[in-house]
Amino acid sequence: MISLQRLKPAFWNHADDPGNYSGLNLKRKWKLIVLLTSILALSPLIIMTLVDFNLTRRTIETESNTRMLNSLHTLAGIMAASLAQNPSTDSAHVLWQDAFHQLNTGPDNDLFLVDASGQPVTPSFHYDRKDGQATLDTRLFTQTDGIVDLQTPDGTAVLAGYARIPGTPLTLVQLRQADWLKDLWLKPRLKLLWFLCVSIVLILLSIMGMATYLVGRIHASERRRIEALHHEEHANRLASIGRLASGVAHEINNPLDIINQKTGLMVDLLTLGKEKSPDQRLLPLAEDVLDAVKRCGTITRQLLGFARHMEPSVEPVDIEEVISQVLALVETDAHHRNIAIRVSPIPAVPGFECDRSSLLQIFLNLAENAITAMASKGILTIEVSGEKTDQVTITVSDTGKGISPEDLPKIFEPFYSSRNDRWGAGLGLAITYGLIKEMGGDITVKSVVGKGTRFVLTLPVKASRPPASDGALHLPGSGIPVASTSKNTPQGAIHVTKQE
Amino acid sequence: MGLKILLVDDEQDFVETLSERLQMRDMDSYAVFDGKTALAQVRSHPPQVMIIDLKMPGMDGIQVLRQVKQTHPYIRVIILTGHGSEHDRKICMDLGASAYFQKPVDIDELNAAIRQGPGNGPPDADHPIDTGGNRT
Repeated sequence: MISLQRLKPAFWNHADDPGNYSGLNLKRKWKLIVLLTSILALSPLIIMTLVDFNLTRRTIETESNTRMLNSLHTLAGIMAASLAQNPSTDSAHVLWQDAFHQLNTGPDNDLFLVDASGQPVTPSFHYDRKDGQATLDTRLFTQTDGIVDLQTPDGTAVLAGYARIPGTPLTLVQLRQADWLKDLWLKPRLKLLWFLCVSIVLILLSIMGMATYLVGRIHASERRRIEALHHEEHANRLASIGRLASGVAHEINNPLDIINQKTGLMVDLLTLGKEKSPDQRLLPLAEDVLDAVKRCGTITRQLLGFARHMEPSVEPVDIEEVISQVLALVETDAHHRNIAIRVSPIPAVPGFECDRSSLLQIFLNLAENAITAMASKGILTIEVSGEKTDQVTITVSDTGKGISPEDLPKIFEPFYSSRNDRWGAGLGLAITYGLIKEMGGDITVKSVVGKGTRFVLTLPVKASRPPASDGALHLPGSGIPVASTSKNTPQGAIHVTKQE
Repeated sequence: MGLKILLVDDEQDFVETLSERLQMRDMDSYAVFDGKTALAQVRSHPPQVMIIDLKMPGMDGIQVLRQVKQTHPYIRVIILTGHGSEHDRKICMDLGASAYFQKPVDIDELNAAIRQGPGNGPPDADHPIDTGGNRT
């Protein structure tokens, strides 16, 4: 067992390798190569051997038959001549009784004489005269001599050589067991078999060696490829973390400096100020500082959401329920801004399943994004269609200010935020994008400046795989999920009406 | 009257507060919120010092810096940004910025950078204050 394990090539359990992205089954590949090559290499050999086998058999058969026939013929001739010299003796068997007794050596060489009725006249192993029914069917002997197949009374298949003795009603018969021939050519057959076996073993060994070498090479290059991929993924992850860090720094530095300047101004007012009543100015300044702190808080909260460590679980989800939950969260805000929310009748999507919290977050982000874009007055529309059996299409559109064609390709990038939206740190859409990609879905955006924006997301009805559970950062542009080992990440990122 | 200072930053809250603080320090400061307005302001009322943010919608700080240095090389330009890399810093200094600050900035440091350097008086046609490339 241990030695077998050691003999196993490295690729044998390749399919179970942790980093096997391509789903390559090298074991199967190896087996296929060995099988096909073996069939190709061995079939001509086996066919040739079979042909040779048959040829040899036929040659030996013909040769032995001819020999038997010749000897019978000669013997019959001698007997006829002998009988012709002794015309007084009418029964040949008396004359030849002793000779036949000597010649008849047993079941494999049963030599005897029969009369016209088929009765043996000399002792026969198979046709004992004492047995009344033991008659040979002489109708089989159609010619003066020949070889026919016979069934003896005791049930043995025999080869019967016969030769009529001219001038007498007697026929000389020699019986040989049918498989007697086989023994005769057993030796050459064994030789052939040996040759065949050794050749097959040698060919199989070399094929297996070659296949092992080839597949081993494939395995090695596959290994290298995976390693390179890992490397790239790692570098990508580092770059994304760098982008994230610098984005956070920037987004936090701005409100920090507001706090810095506002409090500085408070101090200035109290120390340098020439105003009579600086106290009146302090309150709005303090409020501004609090606002800036709130802004910092929003950023850090979004950051936490971005690196969320929620345990995702795929479960059947009622889209309508999730949407109404989200709308309950944004309703007040929408009401304050005089924004109407329209939800078209939501069709039942049987069997829809996904990570509920992710879906909630996606809708919340899109709804908040839409409301922010409209500022005041507008219509937020949500439509759901499940016409296709394998995916759900959800459209979230607003009548807001729209996104300019230059900005459109960048909206899913982290920390890309339109500057008029002072409270968004620009993580919302990046998170949304990452979540949708995790679910195996896609999001597209169309926007007309001044008219509004429409996000269309498609989600698979059946979650193809659970979302990465390690709080993966899916950053657009990187293509590879950051901090995630999930397979089959869809490439090609964002579809926008205008690409960079 | 003190130095004429033009502040350019899209963070209105921030830039207005900073402007007020500079005014309290006897400077004639004025705040605008984007690059285009800033350039127009430079053309109509050229300041002696400019404080520019890098990341702004439309025209960014580096573009403003480049144009200002082309038309008014004597204006001292101070970069004040929340998102500055070493790379950005090098570009700005090569373009002729006289100082580069990362937000949040200390008002005294900023004050020192504004007042530092040769000639704080109004530009003289024969003796421009700064031809660019002034190292801090």
